[in-house]
Amino acid sequence: MPAHPDADPGAILALRSVSQRFGPRLALDAFSLTVARGRVIGLLGPNGAGKTTVINAAAGLQRPTDGCVEWEGEALPFPFPARVRGRIGVVAQDTALYDELTAAENLRFAADLFNVPSPKHRVADVLALVGLDDRARDRVSTLSGGMRRRLTFARALVHDPDLLVLDEPTLAVDIDNRHAIWGHVRRLRREGKTVLLSTNYLDEAEALCDEVVALRDGRVVAVGSPADLVRTAGRCVEIDCDDDVVADVRRRLEVLGPAARVEASGGGLTVHVPADATAETVATAALGTGAVRGVRVRAPDMVEVLEALGSGARG
Amino acid sequence: MVHVGDGPRALRASAILELRQLSRSRVLVVFTVLEALTFLVLVSLFGLTGSRAPTALVDDDHSPLAASLVTYLERAHHSFQLRPMTAATARRQLASGQLVAAVTIPAGFGNDVAAGRTVVLPVDVDNVDVDLTDDIQRAVPSALAAFGRANGFPGVRVVAAERDLIAHDTGFIPYLVVSALALDALVVAGVLGALAVAREFEAGMVTQWHLAPVGAGWLLAGKLLASALVSTVAVGVAAGVVFAGYGVTPVHAFSTLASLVLCVGIFTCVGAAAGALLRRSLPVAALFFGLALPLYIDSGALEPERFDGNAIWAVAHASPVYFAVGALEDAVHGLRVTPEPPLADAAILLLWAAVAVVIASAVLSRRVAVR
Repeated sequence: MPAHPDADPGAILALRSVSQRFGPRLALDAFSLTVARGRVIGLLGPNGAGKTTVINAAAGLQRPTDGCVEWEGEALPFPFPARVRGRIGVVAQDTALYDELTAAENLRFAADLFNVPSPKHRVADVLALVGLDDRARDRVSTLSGGMRRRLTFARALVHDPDLLVLDEPTLAVDIDNRHAIWGHVRRLRREGKTVLLSTNYLDEAEALCDEVVALRDGRVVAVGSPADLVRTAGRCVEIDCDDDVVADVRRRLEVLGPAARVEASGGGLTVHVPADATAETVATAALGTGAVRGVRVRAPDMVEVLEALGSGARG
Repeated sequence: MVHVGDGPRALRASAILELRQLSRSRVLVVFTVLEALTFLVLVSLFGLTGSRAPTALVDDDHSPLAASLVTYLERAHHSFQLRPMTAATARRQLASGQLVAAVTIPAGFGNDVAAGRTVVLPVDVDNVDVDLTDDIQRAVPSALAAFGRANGFPGVRVVAAERDLIAHDTGFIPYLVVSALALDALVVAGVLGALAVAREFEAGMVTQWHLAPVGAGWLLAGKLLASALVSTVAVGVAAGVVFAGYGVTPVHAFSTLASLVLCVGIFTCVGAAAGALLRRSLPVAALFFGLALPLYIDSGALEPERFDGNAIWAVAHASPVYFAVGALEDAVHGLRVTPEPPLADAAILLLWAAVAVVIASAVLSRRVAVR
C-alpha cells in the first residue's frame, strides 16, 4: 500500500484516527499516535481507558472499527502481513505459555516460528537477559508468576523485534520482578529499540517512557513527557487533622483561591495544587491553623494526574 | 536480523511442540492406547454374549441317534455353546444364571425315534431376556429338522441349499472387531485432535498464533500431524491385536493400511473442528464418548446398515463412521457393507476431513483470544 501523505519518515508505527467499538460501547474514539523509532512511548490510564485496545490494534490483534494502522508509513491490512508480524514482539497481559514445556522449549517454539537463526543460542541469550538461564530446563508450571512474566518478555524478544509492544508488563508482579522488567525496558531503550507500553502506574511511565499518552474513556487526555504531565498536574498536599476541625481548616485554605482544589480524605484533607502554585504555601497555611497534626507534600498519582489534566477520571 | 518464518518450518515446530506436549502427558497417551484396546474388548464381549450362549446338554440316552441329534444341535445355531452335564447340574446352573437353557435327551430317545414314535424333547429356558428364548425357539426345531433329514425319517421333504453371495464366510466377532477399528479411530483420533486445538484455547496461546509470521493453517497442520501420528500408533496397536490376536488376515493389506491411516487422519480433522468450536478439553471428551457408541451402532458396525431399514440407513449417512466402516470392512474382509463403492466411501471421508479443516481453520482465524 502507498505511504500515507502525512507519514513521518522517523515513525515506525502510527495509528490514525483509530476507533474501536464493541457493540454499543465506544472503547476508542478517533485515537491517533505516532511511535517514532528508538522511543519508548507509554499509554497511561485507568482500567477501561482503552489502553489494551490501542495495544491490540498496534500489534495487529484487533481490527479497528475505523481508522488505520501504518508500519513505516504503509497502511496495514488486518491481519498484519507476515513480514510486519515478524518485526513486532508482543507481551500480552496474560502470561500464556505452555505449562508442560520447559522455559527453553517455550522459547524454542517461538524462535522456530520466527525463523530465528541459531535458535539454541538465541534462546540461551534471552533467557540470560531476563535472568532465567538457571531455570531454562524447568517446566513453566513450576515458575512463579513473576518468572512467567519475564519469560513472556523473553519470548517477545527472541526474534529481536524492531518494535516491542508491552501490555501492562508489570501487572501483578512483585517489586523485584517489576524492577527487573524495568531494567529490561531501560536496556532496550539504551539499545535504541522502539517500545510501546501500557501501564496503570505513573511511576512506571516516569521511569521508562520518553513520551506518555494519557487516556480516559477511549480518548486522549494529554500527551507529553512524563515530567511534563506531572508538572502540569501539580502536586498534592496531604493534611492530617481531626474530623471536627476539617471544616475550619478547609475554610481557611479557601483564601488560596479556586486554583487549589480541596477534598476531604480519610483523617484529613487533600489539597491539589496547580503547577503554578507552590505546595509550600498551602502547607504553611494549613499549619498556621494550629489544628493540624502534620502535612505531607507528594506527587499526584495517576488518577489525580488525569483529574488535574481536566478529565475527572476515576480508576 | 529477523527472517520471516516459512510455513513448513512452522509446521515442523508445531508438530514437535505437540509431540512434546503429549510426551509430557504420558498417562493420556497410555490411556489412549488402552482405550483403543478396550473397544475391541467391548465388541468382543458383545459378540461373545450373542453367539456363545451356554446351553446344557443332558443326554440320558447315550444312543447313536442321541449322538446324531447332538451333532445337529451344535450345528443348528451359532448362539449355542453346548455343555454336556447331568440333569441335576443343569438345574442348579440354570437356576443360578450360569446357563441360558438346558436341552434334555430323555432315556429311550433312540429306541422311540427308531420305532417311529414321537419323542418330547424337554427344553428349559431362562427367559430373562426374550432374545434368549427366541434363539432357543429357532435353533431347536431347525436342529430337529436337520437331524430327521439326515437320518432319513419321513416327513421332512424340504432342505435348504445355501448359495453364498460372498466366497468366504466372516465370523461375527471378526466382523465386529474390524468395525471397532473405525470406532477406535473416531474416539482416539477425534479426542487427540480436539485436545490439540482445545488446549491452545485453554492456555491462551491462540493469541500467539496470530502474532506469528505464518498462517494459522501451518500451525494447525503441524499439531494435527503429530496428533494423528500418536493416534495411528494407538489404532495400529489395536489393529495388530485384531490381526495377530484374533487371527483376522486382511484381504487387501495395502488398502487396510491406507484405510486405517485415512480414518485416523479424517477423525483427527473432525476432532480439530470440535476442539476449535468447543475450546475446552472436558466437553471434548464428553462429546466423543457420548457420540461414539450411537455413531458406531448406526454405522453398520454390527451388520450392513441397510438391513435395518431405509430410515436408519439414511441417518447413518450423516456419520463419517458409516463410511469408515464401509472402507475398513472392504479392505480387511473384502465385504461391501455399503451400497456405495469403497472408493466413494474414501472420497466422502476425505470430504469430511476437508470440511473439518476448513471449520477449524476458520474458527482459529476468527477467534482471537484478546478482545
